[in-house]
Amino acid sequence: MDWVFKNLDFLQGLAITHLSISLLPLLVGTLLALGLALLISNRASELLAGFLNGIYAIPSLALFVALPPLIGTSYIGPTNVLIALTIYVLATMFSSVRDAFNQVPAAVLLIANAQGLSKLQTLLHVKLPLAIPGIIAGLRVASASTISMASIGAVVGVKNLGFLFLDGFQRKIPEEIISGILIIFLIAILFDFGLWLLGAILTPWRRKMVSHA
Amino acid sequence: MLSFTDFWNWISAEETWQARYGLWNLLAEHLTLTFVALFAAGLFAIPVGLAIGHFRKGEFFVIAISSISRAVPTMGLLFALVILLGVEFRSTAVYAALGAIAIPALLAGTYSGLIAIPQTTVDGARAQGLTELQIIWHVEIPLSLASMLGGLRIAFVQVVSTVTLAPLVGLGGLGFGIVQGLALRDFSQITGSALAVVLLTVIGDRILSLAQKANNFSRLKTKKGRR
Repeated sequence: MDWVFKNLDFLQGLAITHLSISLLPLLVGTLLALGLALLISNRASELLAGFLNGIYAIPSLALFVALPPLIGTSYIGPTNVLIALTIYVLATMFSSVRDAFNQVPAAVLLIANAQGLSKLQTLLHVKLPLAIPGIIAGLRVASASTISMASIGAVVGVKNLGFLFLDGFQRKIPEEIISGILIIFLIAILFDFGLWLLGAILTPWRRKMVSHA
Repeated sequence: MLSFTDFWNWISAEETWQARYGLWNLLAEHLTLTFVALFAAGLFAIPVGLAIGHFRKGEFFVIAISSISRAVPTMGLLFALVILLGVEFRSTAVYAALGAIAIPALLAGTYSGLIAIPQTTVDGARAQGLTELQIIWHVEIPLSLASMLGGLRIAFVQVVSTVTLAPLVGLGGLGFGIVQGLALRDFSQITGSALAVVLLTVIGDRILSLAQKANNFSRLKTKKGRR
């Protein structure tokens, strides 16, 4: 604990970098997953899901350093990490989003159509709200793994909370490594709670259903 | 930046493959670390998962472990165990970390496979006079094999990916070429090693995915249409 209080400013800087390096991929990856799940036909999306599943198996350090020759970025620095994490988020979120949309009952969509809702109205007022629980569940998994995986970015020179592992190992300060684990754990738990709350706020009808039952 | 000629020279050099830190040796180390850790984790996680799933007691344990583990950075776990056990015990520490990383997925895969089996199936086996052990061995394990393999697949991906970081704590494995290449700015070595890691994981993942599909007994039900 002593170590944490002596290095508060240092930790704050690392935490801010860590947050920005995880938040951006989460946002962009989720939006991409939503867009792709809506635009792509069922057959093509089966293929894409298989492909993304394969990509997800690639270790993050290998993906960070495999990107530069493919897209011409520098080996060191945040760009590869941001892109790789976005790909991982897309890979996990694509199936969750697809399943969430597929689980909307066909009868509900039929009724929306019969009531004269346009395609866009059906999407915004029927499909999307009913898919929220599934999307949030996927997002909770994606956010925890992205926040924890972002630390590996420190190996390619991103000074986020993962730096505490490298630095603490080199200087033999166990407190530094353990603080790193605990701070990352805390951030991931806070995000998880935040997403759960967001899900509860966005689907008020689910609480009413519970109270009726 | 990476030039194609450099890369070709690197990949066709004999020492790239045969030296002490050549790709073959590093691949062997990578596979050993991965499989020993998965095996050790399985020795613990599969019996525990079977017991929890069969007796339906201690479910909170599975749920707690799998949700907590997701928020723990695997890299930190690896580094912390090596420094806490001391560098002279680093291979023990690395195996402990890798085992701990594999346990949640194996446990969850086994447990969720068992609880997905209809109660009537288990009761039917019991009514036919099977003992509890026979039920586990002849009914529950075969029916949950696909789910167990699914857990193994997730565990494999997580372990193989953490093994890539092992060179950072002084062990080998295919990540060695990435870490050394980054330090020496040898882009051919980085790219070649990354490619080897990608091939290993994608092939391993495919094999496990095919094994999972081959053991998916719920397919039989849908093919016949009725039971």
